[in-house]
Amino acid sequence: MHQADIHGFLKDFFIEYDCEVTDFSDSSLEVQLTAEIDKAIMNRPFYWHYIEKMNGLASPMRLTFETDSTAKKSKQTEVIHYGSPRLHQLFSFAMSKGKYGHFYEKVEHAASAQSLKPWLALNGKLVYQCHKKKEEFFSIGLNLINGEMINDFHFLLKHWEMNETISSLCFPLSPLIRPASGLQRIKDQLIKKVHTENHQWAVDAKQKMEEDLLLLERFYEEIDEKPDCYKNEKNAIITQYEPSIHLNIINGGLFYLSTHPLDN
Amino acid sequence: MQPTIHIDEQWENDFLDTIDRPTSCSTWKQYNMAINIAKENIITEFEGLQAPKHLPELTFHDYQYEVARKTIEEMNGKAILADEVGLGKTIEAGLILKEYMIRGLVKKVLILAPPSLVSQWCMELNKKFYIPAVEQRKNPQWEAVDVMVTSLDTAKRERHSSIIKEIDYDMVIIDEAHKLKNKQTKNYQVVKEIKRKFCLLLTATPVQNKLSELFHLISLLKPGYLGDEDSFSNTFKQKGSHEELRELIQKVMIRNRRHDTKMDWPKRFVKTIPIHFNDQQTSVYHKITSLKEHLKQESIPMQTAFLVLTLQREFCSSREAVYMTLKNSVEKGKISPIIVENQIVPLITELNNLPAHPKAEKVIELIEQWDENEKVIIFTEYRATQLYLQWYLNQKGIRSVPFRGGFKRSKKDWMKQLFQNQVQVLIATEAGGEGINLQFCHRIINYDLPWNPMRIEQRIGRIHRLGQEHDVHIYHLAVENTIEDHILHLLYKKIGLFEGVIGELDHILEKFTDSGVQEHLSSIFSKSESKGEMKVKIDHLTSIMLDNEKEGETHASS
Repeated sequence: MHQADIHGFLKDFFIEYDCEVTDFSDSSLEVQLTAEIDKAIMNRPFYWHYIEKMNGLASPMRLTFETDSTAKKSKQTEVIHYGSPRLHQLFSFAMSKGKYGHFYEKVEHAASAQSLKPWLALNGKLVYQCHKKKEEFFSIGLNLINGEMINDFHFLLKHWEMNETISSLCFPLSPLIRPASGLQRIKDQLIKKVHTENHQWAVDAKQKMEEDLLLLERFYEEIDEKPDCYKNEKNAIITQYEPSIHLNIINGGLFYLSTHPLDN
Repeated sequence: MQPTIHIDEQWENDFLDTIDRPTSCSTWKQYNMAINIAKENIITEFEGLQAPKHLPELTFHDYQYEVARKTIEEMNGKAILADEVGLGKTIEAGLILKEYMIRGLVKKVLILAPPSLVSQWCMELNKKFYIPAVEQRKNPQWEAVDVMVTSLDTAKRERHSSIIKEIDYDMVIIDEAHKLKNKQTKNYQVVKEIKRKFCLLLTATPVQNKLSELFHLISLLKPGYLGDEDSFSNTFKQKGSHEELRELIQKVMIRNRRHDTKMDWPKRFVKTIPIHFNDQQTSVYHKITSLKEHLKQESIPMQTAFLVLTLQREFCSSREAVYMTLKNSVEKGKISPIIVENQIVPLITELNNLPAHPKAEKVIELIEQWDENEKVIIFTEYRATQLYLQWYLNQKGIRSVPFRGGFKRSKKDWMKQLFQNQVQVLIATEAGGEGINLQFCHRIINYDLPWNPMRIEQRIGRIHRLGQEHDVHIYHLAVENTIEDHILHLLYKKIGLFEGVIGELDHILEKFTDSGVQEHLSSIFSKSESKGEMKVKIDHLTSIMLDNEKEGETHASS
């Protein structure tokens, strides 16, 4: 994320979460927080506890953010860059608020009644972990009528207009595949993909583990009754190198679409 | 092979619940935002460093970046970081830690630093790296705090260590790790018991005296890597095995030196200032030397010799130091009443009548030559000297603060503050040499000379380090025709200490296998009957050291 993108993100974020934003320049903005955001990011639980107990009038904070570190700024200004804790606080807040969706494709001026087909979307990452770690993003959509599965589902959809309510003259088709079994299908698909991959990294990690364990054995070879630290060290080596894959979900949702994602 | 697959099930249950209650769903924009953020933060490669992207306000030197990369990618997060003093080992460790935390491989961290550096570690991690490190307080929350900084002394107390050893740490960082060179110590045992996945040991002097020290350090990182203790000493005592050892060590230890960092370092000017005793002082010095003869008849020769050696060295520092040692020996009954009466009492009287110590006078002379606010650190080995100097400087209208290893952390911070902002002189004893960063000062006076030349390097490293913007001046004070002269000429000069190439010194010591330099010297000085004998023995010692170096050509860890 570049500095310019951060400014854009801050603006989008605060507007989306109902804060009043005043843009000062390309890199600087002022925000009047809402109570919700203040509670989430300002770390002052006692204040909020007090206000709520006393039925007091809350005054959420006003903050000024600057994304250009060379710009002139006052003492109260918070400089935000990619690694700043504040930004990551906003990230995790946004992640927690964007987990589940239920959307209808916006259909304008439908001439006659139109059916919307249900799709199940799942976005997440596969995490490959041993003593090192890498991640791979996936986004899969599953048609809940005929079981068709599409990769990069979100990529196809992200610029579409979606509503949280259904457009007039449209009606949703009921899923033939229940969401729970839909999820299972997607997971099975992911596991199948993982099984076909080459896991040389895991082989290497295992080998490193074996080497270190062998050294450890030799170190304690002469001692018949192994001390506690032997066990600790052994466990530590195993947890350090043990290869595993985690399927982490970012978000997902039910989509009712009139257009097929690949046709757009 | 197929690694185990773990699936996030919590999400799934929540999701199926939410579908039934669509009102609690996200807006399209919120949904999109979450995906964008997740994609932005995804790390698609095992290799490479993410941390610098998160720390745009920090600039890393190439060698620091390389240390972090190598530690993570080649050493699997277990390494001895052994850069020379002042090259920024803390920054390197911070970078490594940050990388692991960003990647989500490390969460629970314990950092053990010298008491005087605990606050600084916390501050640097928080301010520079945005790592929420917490300084251990009176009632530390070992379980609740994710990144805890404390001292080894605290961690080894039973009530803490019993909790600490139950915790599974993802990473343990130990600063000034040469404190762990002896496996018999409590320090070593405590660290060995801590459960740790990744581990960084930071030290500028991985070998101070013996190669076995390095063996113990490495055995903490990777037990068995150099075999067990017996096989290690059998294998590596033999000549010709050094190359093999060097290669092994390179895989667990990274060491950068000033001259291989390709950076423009401030220069180091070393000046030795000879000090003269007047007749009266010379006569006292000779009387101390002749104590050897008197004491010989009644006690164990080795002990006597050592006592006299100590007194000689102390007299080169201050009469107060001599006085303290004499007082202790007499009180402990180490010296027979006859000798006390005939030798010691007259000696003490003479001590009382001596004028100011010529070294103290020299210090004043030096300080007066400089600008008024020119800061200086004076290092001495003796507490008595420290007190004397503080008093003497005060008499001359120069304010100073003391610094000792035994000070509480808060007092150390306070003394450092005072030195930085108000007083001109800081007088530190040996134990104060480690773990303080005083880049704002550019001058050091070595008031007396330690046995172990590595200590000089550690002293200098307090100011000649990253962040020092000025050239650094170092003054060695040595009294002519005394034991100090011997240390100076016979040892330090031979191994090039004063040519400013002391960076090479550890190299020499590393090559110098399994017997302590310090023990050798102490025995040479105390056992030799004449100056000639002493010279021969020291020549022999230094030639072994230098030979060893030539043999190896390249250094055990470069």
